[in-house]
Amino acid sequence: MQRYAVNVLFCAAAVALVGLAQAGMLDKYVLTIITFMGINCIFAVSLNLVNGYMGEFSCGHGGFMCVGAYTGSLLSVAFFTNSKLFGPALFPPELAPFLFPLVLIGAGSVAALFGLIVALPSFHTRDDYLAIITIAANYIIISVVENIDAIGGPRGFSGMRRVVGAMSDVADVPWMLIWTIVGLFVCVMTIYRLMTSTYGKGISAVCQNEVAAEIMGVDTNRVKIMAFMVSSGLAGLSGALYAHVYGYVNAQAFNILKSTEGLVIVYLGGMGSISGVLLAAIAFTLLVEALRFVMPWLNDILHAANLLPAGYELSQVWKWVIIPLILILLMQFRPEGFLGNRELTQVFPRLKRWITLK
Amino acid sequence: MPLLEITGLTKRFGGLQALSNFSFSMGERELVGLIGPNGAGKTTVFNIVSGFYRPTEGSIVFRRQLLNGLKPHRVTSMGMARTFQNIRLWNDLTVLDNIRLARYARLDYGFWDAVLRTGRYRRAEKAVETKAREVLELMELAEYAGEFPKNLPYGLQRRVELARALAGNPRLLLLDEPAAGLGSVDVEGLIRHIRWIYDEFKISIWMIEHQMKVVMSLCQRLSVMDFGCAIAEGTPEEIRRNPEVVRAYLGDGAL
Repeated sequence: MQRYAVNVLFCAAAVALVGLAQAGMLDKYVLTIITFMGINCIFAVSLNLVNGYMGEFSCGHGGFMCVGAYTGSLLSVAFFTNSKLFGPALFPPELAPFLFPLVLIGAGSVAALFGLIVALPSFHTRDDYLAIITIAANYIIISVVENIDAIGGPRGFSGMRRVVGAMSDVADVPWMLIWTIVGLFVCVMTIYRLMTSTYGKGISAVCQNEVAAEIMGVDTNRVKIMAFMVSSGLAGLSGALYAHVYGYVNAQAFNILKSTEGLVIVYLGGMGSISGVLLAAIAFTLLVEALRFVMPWLNDILHAANLLPAGYELSQVWKWVIIPLILILLMQFRPEGFLGNRELTQVFPRLKRWITLK
Repeated sequence: MPLLEITGLTKRFGGLQALSNFSFSMGERELVGLIGPNGAGKTTVFNIVSGFYRPTEGSIVFRRQLLNGLKPHRVTSMGMARTFQNIRLWNDLTVLDNIRLARYARLDYGFWDAVLRTGRYRRAEKAVETKAREVLELMELAEYAGEFPKNLPYGLQRRVELARALAGNPRLLLLDEPAAGLGSVDVEGLIRHIRWIYDEFKISIWMIEHQMKVVMSLCQRLSVMDFGCAIAEGTPEEIRRNPEVVRAYLGDGAL
């Protein structure tokens, strides 16, 4: 039984979270933060497959999240609501909670296909040059989406709130929190299982010595396609969840800044460590939110200590000075991130007694 | 029918003629050496045969199939394996994983099997694991299964690379300077190991080697290259006495 402790804990925490939200004991703000934490986890863990395990530097991960967000939104609006764009709903809205996984799968699959934009050039390009291609892919995706007027263009696209509403009409539970937990579970299990199989270790082989990989019978091109598609597919999943939590998507929300956020989380947690990246995603989301409250305090303290001129108020913008500063310090003193390329169970071997991952 | 037949192999890199009209043939169960001074084109031959370079001209036939233009992983899956002059192991994967990955080309499951942990996945992984442990056992590496190659001494790293090459069940093994960087004690061990591999696995071996002691004591036949051409072929005794070889490679007072 002991070996299942962490697994049971995860399930218990998930159930408790949903229970608390259901009982109305979490206010809407906290609930949203927790949901975004999960979405950031999916986004960062999927980026980790390429940047951590495969050793390529993808800086355009936000683009795939964008594809997933739009695909998911369009699918769910077409499926469950009457809209100007798609006409009457394809399915009765009562089916929304049951068919929503189809929306997520659709979003993931389309995003995975877009992953080919990066996967195909990666056959002959690598490192810095491939990084530039990923940035280009990010820009291309966003400009294309922004220029399709039918889906809102630069105004963005909405209507997903009605779908979430339709789900709540069937059963009044915090649906998006539940889907995010399910999505996170699927994402972590997919990557964990992939990377513990000989098939998936082909990715590590390509990363550590591509020549040896090719000569030992690893079809390196296929491995790259697989890694990029899985990675961008899961980013698409996070995008679809994001779109439904917000109820509104706008292509600019997935620009290079979003991609950078993913990079920051991955480097914070340690490349090639699922548990490290999960911790970092949680810490990062909390940090961004906590600073929102810390800034006014800091303002008061600095004023009390007469360190700030009387007329100057410390605004929230300073948050984006403090967070990069933390990053600089981290890179100086612990460049490998929280856990390096090791998992929690390797840093604390005793944990193994409490956990069963298969 | 020879195992490997190379005819008229030529390779030009831009204006540089790295290899001109090189022909070679070897049969099953042969242990042949390829020697020559630095820059003679020996490794180029290996790189073309194993699929890294496309030949400019000429043909390579391995087990009755034309290899020209096949990618390295395809060549490997046809039953050829090689090691490198400078060791190329995956340093952040354990020794066991290094060996397991040599079975990659034979994995009969795909992405979804790995993620859903299907029966097919379990069976295949079990077979891979058994095979890898068996090879480690045979190569006297079992105790290092959980180590990372980067933490092993050089001689052991060479042996791991050899084990990895053998794990794919090759018919032909290409060894690119297996004794490079080894001390004299390790060289003795290597000679024993290669002979034992040759007998135990019933394969053919084609090796590039600079250390005369290794080729002279192991190879039944030698071919000599200089400036991208084959200049001589014969038993070690014949090569030792061939004046052209002595001049080109061994130097006047070498033997």
